[in-house]
Amino acid sequence: MSEVKGMKKILIIGSGISGMTAAISCAQKGMHAIMVSPFMSERAQSVMAEGGINAALDNMGEGDSVEKHIEDTLKGGNMLAGELAVRDLCEKAPEIIRWLENLGTVFSLKADGRIDQRAFGGQSCRRTCYCGASTGKQIVTALIMEARRYEAMGLIERRIWNDFHSGLIRDGRCYGALIYNEASGQLEPVYADAVIMATGGQNALFGKTTGSTQCDGYAAGRLFMQGAMLKNLEFIQYHPTTLETGQKKMLVSEAARGEGGRLYYEEDGRRVYFMEDMYGEKGNLMPRDVVSRCMYDTKRQVYLDMTMLGEKIDSKIPEIRDVCLKYGGIDIHKESVPVSPSVHFFMGGFAVDAGHMTNIEGLYAVGECASRYHGANRLGGNSLLAAVYSGMTAAEAIYAKSDSAVSESSGIETASGEKPDFSEYFKEYIEEERGKFFGLFGSESKFPVMYLRDMAAETMNRDLGIVRDEEQLQNGIADLDYYIDLAEHIRYDRSVLPYFNYSVGAILVLAKATLICARERRESRGAHYRSDYPETSEDMRAATLISYDDGEFNVSLDREGRFER
Amino acid sequence: MKLRILRKLPTEEGQFWEEFEYSGPADYSVAAMLEDLNYRDDIINSKGEHVPRISWACSCLQSKCGACAMVINGTPALACETFLRDLGSSVTLQPLSKFPVISDLVVDRSGIQENLLNTSSFIKEYKESPQGEHGHQYTAAKCLKCGLCLEVCPNYKGGEHFYGALFANDCYLIATRSGVFDDSISEEYKKHFGSGCSKSFSCMDVCPMNIPTLSSMAKMNRRRS
Repeated sequence: MSEVKGMKKILIIGSGISGMTAAISCAQKGMHAIMVSPFMSERAQSVMAEGGINAALDNMGEGDSVEKHIEDTLKGGNMLAGELAVRDLCEKAPEIIRWLENLGTVFSLKADGRIDQRAFGGQSCRRTCYCGASTGKQIVTALIMEARRYEAMGLIERRIWNDFHSGLIRDGRCYGALIYNEASGQLEPVYADAVIMATGGQNALFGKTTGSTQCDGYAAGRLFMQGAMLKNLEFIQYHPTTLETGQKKMLVSEAARGEGGRLYYEEDGRRVYFMEDMYGEKGNLMPRDVVSRCMYDTKRQVYLDMTMLGEKIDSKIPEIRDVCLKYGGIDIHKESVPVSPSVHFFMGGFAVDAGHMTNIEGLYAVGECASRYHGANRLGGNSLLAAVYSGMTAAEAIYAKSDSAVSESSGIETASGEKPDFSEYFKEYIEEERGKFFGLFGSESKFPVMYLRDMAAETMNRDLGIVRDEEQLQNGIADLDYYIDLAEHIRYDRSVLPYFNYSVGAILVLAKATLICARERRESRGAHYRSDYPETSEDMRAATLISYDDGEFNVSLDREGRFER
Repeated sequence: MKLRILRKLPTEEGQFWEEFEYSGPADYSVAAMLEDLNYRDDIINSKGEHVPRISWACSCLQSKCGACAMVINGTPALACETFLRDLGSSVTLQPLSKFPVISDLVVDRSGIQENLLNTSSFIKEYKESPQGEHGHQYTAAKCLKCGLCLEVCPNYKGGEHFYGALFANDCYLIATRSGVFDDSISEEYKKHFGSGCSKSFSCMDVCPMNIPTLSSMAKMNRRRS
């Protein structure tokens, strides 16, 4: 039953955990999902998530509850996330774990056969379900198999070697997307009843991060330029413990500290356990923003000691052991690991409502590219949860919309119930974009587009670090203005994939938007710390919204809670 | 250091060798080296000619995604976890030979998914598995679908009939977690793996996840009898 007349067609950009969950949930409801991505799902950033996924199952018998999960999440996010949003997420969490288990996710189990739960930062009880130290990978494997069931039925269609180019948007409604097909070398329109963005975080803004090179923020930047509102961009999580290597910042999972690992620095030949000195016994497991800032404040090399874990290293965190040995030559049984904070997660992204729809009708966003649950700081174990939850929720919301929504809102006259022919509708836009696209090839330039991305990343790391101030941010914005201007005039080496060349402009615009959001939030809250405004201001307890209109960036605080419902 | 790469331009059919001189830190991986080479002002071969930048695929850069699988000094491996210090004074890079080459070191491995789809490789009805299987399942589920096991396998030709070690491991995952006795997956296993494997077990030598394919086979074979 590949495409039945009247069946809703949903275009999903991205095939990680949130994209696959959305596709599966669409297919379960009898909708046709087209999942577009450059690579297959095994390559998605989701496979890198190590630590776990939170749900108040109380398998550890500590009196955990959904209410506590809600409270911890809101508190961890410095009271910036909406309570209703967080409530929806946490209430659904136990059901999500059961669903994943029934798909065959290989969770780590307790002796009694129930799912084991570990301690993670900012939690009042052991709440994080996990699969060794490869939770994301195990979930991805289970979802790939489940998606295959619907692929076999013709309800999910995968298109790899395809990259997002832009939304097909008119009068505040999204009708599909223009896709760059690497095989044909063409920009091809794909029309759909709804488009779900599942493109992950905007890692490329910072160059080397803990995440995948595939998540670059282009899609968010491009759709921002096409009218989508973004939210809370200034809140960027630094993971406290990463190991610097030649190719990237390697994450040393929070599980290391959850199991008992301790942070210290050396002073006069003795160890200073600064987190425990400041916050007591649970100091090493303070929320990530607190730990990262404390590490920054030491102005010293910080080490993570796991040697005391003994046999637990091999049974509970073997992946951490392997990564440190392979990439750093460090045997964690015997030595401490030099660690530093690195950009790890973006709390900000598309502003979405309770059904995960953006301000553009028919355009949805799920997973890390959407901003809804984490407020000013995300707790470990909540992002995998949000990825699955948001994928399910977007599918439900789309399913619930009336069938005729597309033709009604398009204002196009159609014959009895037939959907309008959009090819005419976007003809001019597509021709213009194709013209620009092929214009990129008319050059003999050897200038690597990556230079521009690298220069922007240098600016972002310098001016939008763990501690920020007005002057720095203003400098950063000036730099970005210069790069944006350059990007419009330079031609690049065409021997790289065209995607890299056409994507750079919107990535730079997103970087500038991020700096502007950080400048406008003149307070300190969660992951956003301003040395010139070190206090949290009750007056600013609202999400930052930013929109774009032909070169103008408009920032406001969402005091009315426009996206909370 | 001498670097030889078997290249292919995206617009042209044939492959050709190109040589480069490279000097970089010994603790760089092949992935770090490729990135370093690509983002210099110009990329120049050992004859002094300006040449197109080298295409290769990467995502996680820490052996969790399988994107950067290639043949390094004759051995199938992940570029991100193969270090220059272990490679000597000359390094040879080739794309995986058992898949269609798109450009340079980038190959199209979608045939892997097509075979898994055509054999309905999914759990029809989930059932909690016997206690003893947990560790083996966890490891088998870490399969990257990187294709290294297929590259090294003497029996895998291109996935027409014989689907290779990754298929055997997926069959095991499905079989041990299916509520109804899943005859179909046993049949597919026999048809596309069991009858074609000549048991060189080279797949286990190159697997970046150290998946014990042999025990997946043993369990599948026992199941069939």
